[in-house]
Amino acid sequence: METLLQVKDLVKYYPVYSRGIVTKKVVGNVHAVDHITFEVKKGETVGLVGESGCGKTTTGKLILNLEKATSGSVLFDGFDVFKTFRKGSKEEKSRLRRSMQMVFQNPYASLDPRMTVFDIISEPFKIHRHLPKEEWGEQVYKLLDMVGLEPYHAERYPHEFSGGQRQRICIARAIAVNPKFIVADEPVSSLDVSIRAQILNLMLDLQKRLGISYLYISHDLSSVRQISHRVIVMYLGEIVESAPTEKHFEHPLHPYTRALISAVPIPDPAKKMDIILLPGEVPSPINPPSGCRFHPRCQYATPKCSSEKPALIEIDRDHFVSCHYAFNFL
Amino acid sequence: MVNSEQPNGKNENATRRSASQWAVAWRRFKKHKSGLFGLGMIVILVFIAVFHSFIAPYPPGSLDPLYEGEAGQPPSWKHPFGTTIGGSDVYSELIHGSVWTLYVAIIATVIAMLITMVVGISSGYLGGYIDDILMRITEVFLVFPSLLLILVFSRIYQLMNPEPFWKFLGISIPVNLTTIVLIVALFAWAGNARVIRGEVMALKEKEFIQAAKSLGASSRWIMLRHILPNVLPQTIVIATLTMASAVLIEAVVSFLGFGDINTNTWGRMMEESFQYMSTTWWAEVFPGLAVFLTVLAFNLVGDGISDALNPRLRE
Amino acid sequence: MSMNLLEIENLKTYFFTEAGVVKALDGVTFNVEKGCTIGLVGESGSGKSVTAQSVLRIVPRPGRIVGGKILFNGEDILAKKESEMRSYRGKKISLIFQDPTSSLNPVFTIGNQLSDIVMQHNRVKKDEAAEAVVKALKLVKLPDPEEALTRYPHQFSGGMKQRICIARALLLNPDLLFADEPTTNLDVTIQAQIIALLVDLQKNIGLTLVMITHDMGIVTQMCKCVVVLYAGKVMEIGSIEKIFEMPHPYTEALLKAVPRLDQTRKLISIPGNIPNLIEPPSGCRFHPRCQYAVERCKEEVPPLQDVGGGHMISCHRWRELNGG
Repeated sequence: METLLQVKDLVKYYPVYSRGIVTKKVVGNVHAVDHITFEVKKGETVGLVGESGCGKTTTGKLILNLEKATSGSVLFDGFDVFKTFRKGSKEEKSRLRRSMQMVFQNPYASLDPRMTVFDIISEPFKIHRHLPKEEWGEQVYKLLDMVGLEPYHAERYPHEFSGGQRQRICIARAIAVNPKFIVADEPVSSLDVSIRAQILNLMLDLQKRLGISYLYISHDLSSVRQISHRVIVMYLGEIVESAPTEKHFEHPLHPYTRALISAVPIPDPAKKMDIILLPGEVPSPINPPSGCRFHPRCQYATPKCSSEKPALIEIDRDHFVSCHYAFNFL
Repeated sequence: MVNSEQPNGKNENATRRSASQWAVAWRRFKKHKSGLFGLGMIVILVFIAVFHSFIAPYPPGSLDPLYEGEAGQPPSWKHPFGTTIGGSDVYSELIHGSVWTLYVAIIATVIAMLITMVVGISSGYLGGYIDDILMRITEVFLVFPSLLLILVFSRIYQLMNPEPFWKFLGISIPVNLTTIVLIVALFAWAGNARVIRGEVMALKEKEFIQAAKSLGASSRWIMLRHILPNVLPQTIVIATLTMASAVLIEAVVSFLGFGDINTNTWGRMMEESFQYMSTTWWAEVFPGLAVFLTVLAFNLVGDGISDALNPRLRE
Repeated sequence: MSMNLLEIENLKTYFFTEAGVVKALDGVTFNVEKGCTIGLVGESGSGKSVTAQSVLRIVPRPGRIVGGKILFNGEDILAKKESEMRSYRGKKISLIFQDPTSSLNPVFTIGNQLSDIVMQHNRVKKDEAAEAVVKALKLVKLPDPEEALTRYPHQFSGGMKQRICIARALLLNPDLLFADEPTTNLDVTIQAQIIALLVDLQKNIGLTLVMITHDMGIVTQMCKCVVVLYAGKVMEIGSIEKIFEMPHPYTEALLKAVPRLDQTRKLISIPGNIPNLIEPPSGCRFHPRCQYAVERCKEEVPPLQDVGGGHMISCHRWRELNGG
């Protein structure tokens, strides 16, 4: 498969200020995203997993240039994303914007309450004007149909819809510009359990029909398994493991991934959990631990782990792990 | 792949018309008794102002009662609110004065709100050094003792002896009163701009703004299409309250003797009759009552709108 | 049955809103056995939180309990005076909330706000109260409990705050603890810690625990017995094994719609949306979304019937679907 998106050495630090009366002084950095590198192939879904504060949402926003990266680069379909948004032509910017979209976590906050559904879905047409005006209406109804909504919904306001329907509207808006790539940031975690499957199935269906690639950001490993071809686990701004889905869930190698997977309760009385309880909590990203960032919570940690940062290396075919002792778990 | 499920189990609502948030708010406002009462008073005030020359028995500034020997008369059938010592009909003057009251309320509020919105939205949305600069300026306007400055500025301007009226499209505009209105407006926006800025900053973090950004919308587009409509309800509430305070401040300025002698506003009427209050109390009380009711009406409407837009605050 | 700590019978709690009467709980019946952990499962609007609020009689306005019976240790809670009720809350029945951050007061130290509770209920001196607090904090395995007394809520992480909330709920040794989605706002690894803690506490101090959650996984791993709620009605009550073996059509649909970590499979989604409780569907409330629904389901409310071994089902077609 062809590579669509390449993230190279991406870094985002948020400076921490101590505020004087007039001056601001930088006293430290929040290491939100720290030198991460990965790829997304055409028509593929990559699941980006991690606990709150691990930098997964920031990564999504950096790729779309909704936040300015500190350093690193993102190559998308032949474009250097950051360069294009900085000094590309209007035409190039518009084309790049249209090929990458985002679906947000909270469908209640991601629709403008004062616009009708028609206005919301046709907004991208108004911004980019890549379609003649006569086609807007037809296009909106086609999109509504694609996400499983009725034509009469177009005249309604967002507050009249349930969470699942709103998320459908958000998806319709995202695919209105024919994107090749969608960052889906926890698209189902604020929905009810019985509704989640509807949205996940819709995403899979759209992927099949339109060949869209997803970066599926989530803390819910079960849904990640359902939808992703490949899973990347982040911890404190760094990638600790990256593997094809089957391998990831059946043979996780990094101690953190193993603890994460063991902690998810399985709805089956025949499968009693064997939880690997991690001691303590995620350390502050302002002063991340030295060496391997996971070492203070790792039961296998040795002095080497606190002094030397492990590299992300290919341990098994297409299975990347950042741990000094990954071979021992193989 | 199964994807044909109807997200709406039934289609029973297919024909129901959808109500915009404005329609919903209006429905709620209609249930708000004091708000409706205020709105009724304002409608009457506007009606009076528009048809003042037909309603009032005497033209503005008319001294006919004096010539009829009826100066300083208490309220009677002929002069419902009595006459002043100077010999004018209080009832007629009040009706003519309503035009100036609305003039003050509307012009001051429009100008103040324009500054409020521009400063509030750009400061809140753009942030950074634009925010820093605008907020420092706002703070300057907030800490000045505004009433004192209004008095000083209007007196200085009057001492420069400008033309009493400007002709603009055939309408004569009272120069001094307009100056007062402008100064009032200049000191009425700062607090409001901070309120709007706060609202905008909260909105900015909402995901639909992020969504618009990821669709490629420019800052201008987002501010006009998303931010502005969403702060509009708040703006309307603020505007109504600003009208009330503009009317009040003009009345105070005029009452203190700093008003425009070429226009007979309610505040000016009160100032002129003040020294004769022990004899002709009606010439003082009725204009005072008019100011009071007008300010009350605007405040009630503002309150009503605010409740209609934030239903959760009730109960 | 004298073993039941809590018996809820035909409980009805309605919310009288501007838009109409929301029938949040419409005839809910179930029992909680002493020393047992039961799961109260449902989606938003199923009435699972309102059940806990009703038992504690803290239903927020405009909600009101309009009918039914709640027996706690054989005593009718709904007949109690408000002043009597106050001594029940915390002392006999306790509640942990979903969001630990907003359920701790940010301006008081942990020691202050927790020992206040002790002093309010038991007339004890300040240092005695502090001792009780430290004991409770030790129970929930908060590191450095003495030190924690002098600290403020914001100085703790989410998981630690939830531990403090649990300690607060256990301060007065209640018999019954409602845990209302206690792990929903926490990360997976922290969720595992809290679940392990609750399981431990339940075993060690013989607590009766009602675990309110939407996560079938948590219920399966923690509870022996489950009550499944949907739109203010009990759909099914039974042991975990029974529920997985022969579930109610709603439970079955839910289990098929939830992604599982241990397998990749096609999710079969439940069509439609959660019903509006002002005008709930007629008959069985799940019928508009149920794949087995027939005409009868639309017309007749199915009763909650024992189908054997304490397994209660509210469905017209369950017997027929499960082979007679």
